[in-house]
Amino acid sequence: MRLLDPRYAWARQLGAFTLLLALWEGLGRADLLNPMYAPSPSQIGAALVELFADGRIWPHLEATFAAALGGLAIGIAVGVVLGVAAALVQPIAELLEPVMTVLNAVPRVILAPLFVIWLGVGLASKVALSFILVAVLMFFTVFTGISQVDRRLIERIVTLGGGRWALVRHVYLPSVAAWVLGNLKIAVGFAFTGACVGEFVAATRGLGYLLSFAQSTYNAALMFALILLILFVVLAIFGAAGRLEKYLLRWN
Amino acid sequence: MSLAVGEGRFVSLVGPSGSGKSSLLRAIIGLQQPLAGSIETDLARSELGILFQDDTLLPWKTARDNVALGLTFNGMERRKALAEAEAWLERLDLAGFGNRFPRHLSGGQRKRVALAQVLALEPKLILMDEPFASLDAIVGARVVRDVVSLVERHGISVLLVTHDLEEALTLSDEVYLMSQGPRARITQHYPVPIPRPRDPVRTRTHPAFAPLYERLWADLSREVDHRAEAA
Repeated sequence: MRLLDPRYAWARQLGAFTLLLALWEGLGRADLLNPMYAPSPSQIGAALVELFADGRIWPHLEATFAAALGGLAIGIAVGVVLGVAAALVQPIAELLEPVMTVLNAVPRVILAPLFVIWLGVGLASKVALSFILVAVLMFFTVFTGISQVDRRLIERIVTLGGGRWALVRHVYLPSVAAWVLGNLKIAVGFAFTGACVGEFVAATRGLGYLLSFAQSTYNAALMFALILLILFVVLAIFGAAGRLEKYLLRWN
Repeated sequence: MSLAVGEGRFVSLVGPSGSGKSSLLRAIIGLQQPLAGSIETDLARSELGILFQDDTLLPWKTARDNVALGLTFNGMERRKALAEAEAWLERLDLAGFGNRFPRHLSGGQRKRVALAQVLALEPKLILMDEPFASLDAIVGARVVRDVVSLVERHGISVLLVTHDLEEALTLSDEVYLMSQGPRARITQHYPVPIPRPRDPVRTRTHPAFAPLYERLWADLSREVDHRAEAA
């Protein structure tokens, strides 16, 4: 077997990663790393196992999921509806586009404290932050998408005798669905960002709240464990979103 | 300008680029308004079909669904439309390809699907805007052969716009020449005395072909030169 065979890239990556972990662990055990800052992989693993072992992670996972998925669903729905409305009705575009452009330009997480004042420390303020992150993304996806619908498809439908409803059903809706699905992974990332940042700012539950707790108690092992957990959660949802996209866009 | 396409006749309109050939077809089928004047035809909109240069199939619909589309627009029940679509696909050598998405069809197959889509509506006149230009020579020749046999068999009239003189002569019963734009008009009319049914490949060796081709070429060149001098 040749050592640099491209088919075994994964083996080399895995090897390098294992080596790094081993080195990290070794340095930790040799007391060369301060566990205050860089806890060893085994300590992080133990913290992760502990989170699940005593079951106290579940309400937090549930809270973050509820906020992220709620914000995602409402954000997609509202973003798509506003995007379609703005693309089809000129006065709506005139009203919405400047607002959306400003919201798009600023880091929208700066709204988090405001949402806490308005909606309290509960779930609603996290859903709102998730929502605003996703909705602006979806608005522009759909708004710019509709103005770029292939003219030739419209002409084809018209010359085959299709009316306005046929255009919406056979050209606009499938186009919109394709753009939304194409941006679904980014939207999922945004939704979890919103949920975690919201919890980080003010909350009593959630992964973001646990992170903030780990920070205030200087618990680096717990922090690493939470970062790992969030990574796994988002990757799992990415995978699911990818499969959904692949199935629904199988014509592409 | 006035242009007659008799029933079951294949008529070509050739002319330099920029003479407005495509615009004329688009105006006839109602995709664009003429800048001045009006369009008068003795056919209803539903009796016209159009084939474009690009195969504009809906990418998210299968070949069969694409062909059935026009039928459902005209009120046919969906299940019946799908059966009808399948029959047209078979007629165009696409049996077994009904479930494929356009992305998974070759250029020639997509062209056939587009053709089936138009033929399924049983138009009296099909407008063609250089529909074969995007196909490579061999595939193009096969599609052209099938088009010829289908229109001959179904007695459909065709108005083909092209700048390919050879294509115009092999396919047509009559050729009209358009002058260079702006203010283009029809300057010549040539009957093509080659009998039907025709084989598009053999038509080229018919004794009437070469002299007509030369005449058409000379007239078209003069049209272009004329314009260049005037400018």
